[in-house]
Amino acid sequence: MGETILEVRHLGKSFGSHEVLRDIDFTVDKGDVTCVIGASGSGKSTLLRCINLLETPTGGEILFHGQDVTGRQVKAEAYRAKVGMVFQSFNLFNNMTVLDNCIVGQTKVLKKGKETSRANALQYLEKVGMAPYINAKPRQLSGGQKQRVAIARALAMEPELLLFDEPTSALDPEMVGEVLAVMRNLADSGMTMIVVTHEMAFARDVSNHVVFMSDGVIEEEGAPADLFERPQKERTKEFLARFRNQ
Amino acid sequence: MDRFAKLAHDMSLLWAKYWPSYLGGIKNTLILALVATFIGCIIGLICGILNTIPYSEHDPLPKRFLLKLIRVIVRIYVEVFRGTPMVLQAVFIYYGLPYFFSVNWQSVWAAAILVVSINTGAYMAESVRGGIISIDPGQTEGAKAIGMNHFQTMTSVILPQALRNIMPQIGNNFIINVKDTSVMFIISFTEFFAFHRYITGVNNMYFPSAAIEMVGYLCMTLIASFILRRVEKRMDGSDSYELVQADPLTMTAGTYQHPGSPEAPAGVSDEERERIRQSLKNRNGSTRGDR
Repeated sequence: MGETILEVRHLGKSFGSHEVLRDIDFTVDKGDVTCVIGASGSGKSTLLRCINLLETPTGGEILFHGQDVTGRQVKAEAYRAKVGMVFQSFNLFNNMTVLDNCIVGQTKVLKKGKETSRANALQYLEKVGMAPYINAKPRQLSGGQKQRVAIARALAMEPELLLFDEPTSALDPEMVGEVLAVMRNLADSGMTMIVVTHEMAFARDVSNHVVFMSDGVIEEEGAPADLFERPQKERTKEFLARFRNQ
Repeated sequence: MDRFAKLAHDMSLLWAKYWPSYLGGIKNTLILALVATFIGCIIGLICGILNTIPYSEHDPLPKRFLLKLIRVIVRIYVEVFRGTPMVLQAVFIYYGLPYFFSVNWQSVWAAAILVVSINTGAYMAESVRGGIISIDPGQTEGAKAIGMNHFQTMTSVILPQALRNIMPQIGNNFIINVKDTSVMFIISFTEFFAFHRYITGVNNMYFPSAAIEMVGYLCMTLIASFILRRVEKRMDGSDSYELVQADPLTMTAGTYQHPGSPEAPAGVSDEERERIRQSLKNRNGSTRGDR
């Protein structure tokens, strides 16, 4: 186990009187692939959005390399530049080409040179198999292609941690495979990732830690082999049984 | 029918005598409308951006107060200048300001541009705000997720898309300005319509001159519409894109050329083509598939 990158402590989030997350605790070490599973509405996505500060947590703390990022002492922008995020709806910049999508963050946020950024972007687009499409606009791509570009865009920032928010849920079954293959490669190359997903096979085979969420709390967590084969809690068994029957 | 002939005759008489005045008026109208629409768009952009700076309950009190104050000021500006006629705004600024302060309008141009600009700005502020909120919130999240701040998100991601969406509005405002600058005669600005008043003041051909004005305005707005459509097309960019091959020796699917086709790739001699054709023939002596 490497050094601890992210530590979530007693995290809570409520929208008004509606409590979405309650007392969430978990740790992510360098090189970990953590999958968060659970039914829709169980707070998985909110958890991920809280980790990236797209939602402001209403309780608890998030320690990034031991430093709390929910307070005022850390600039959200600087933190987000080190924590990449891949969205369910891709969120590629529609006014830019594929290449510019992967360059703009490097030049504007990391203040890198144009040439270095371009070379870097090309390298990551190559990695996700989208290098031939650098001149295309997002509207000209299929869902799977868009998601691969979105992954390249996040990678181009060279983040220490990459968050995936149901990256394959908006895709046709045929395109799910190409995106999962890219993610599997990333995991193999040692990337630290937190993946919210409904792809149980991916969670079982690729991750080294699985978190099962239910009604805003972590119901059960553990190594994929334990959680999938020998679930302890009733809710977990119920949830996994539904997936096995499919 | 002879009434139309008479009208055409009178119009050509007027034009022959006063065409430099008419053309000068058109020039002034176009310059005023262009400059004022441009400045108005910038005012509108600034107001739109100021109006959409996000703040939350967790921000410190002075920041929240300042942002709320800005919104109130922009709101008042928009309501006042959108809700009063431009003729009166011109009077208030050209005659009213010197009345209260030691302002001395050196040039009627400056006053006219100021009036039309802030009037256009008031309309554009709302259009820009609409343009910004019409952009999918996912675009903002995508930009935030790679660490952009509000200003970078706006300038690189949101505004380019919002501007494209409000292009029809900008065109609308320009065309309205071409026509509505005619009220600037009130501060004796000599645009197209003002010349009509001067010219008909010295003869009795009021209607033929008005007909010339009609045609003139219609021509200006039609040309403006045409140019705006072209600009929008340009902003949309091409519908197709070129694949870029990492390895220049491999061809993209669909770009192979059959050696027998009339337009063989350059640099291949006739003998070479014949040799390739022979080598491609199968045992039946045909270049078609084996059946």
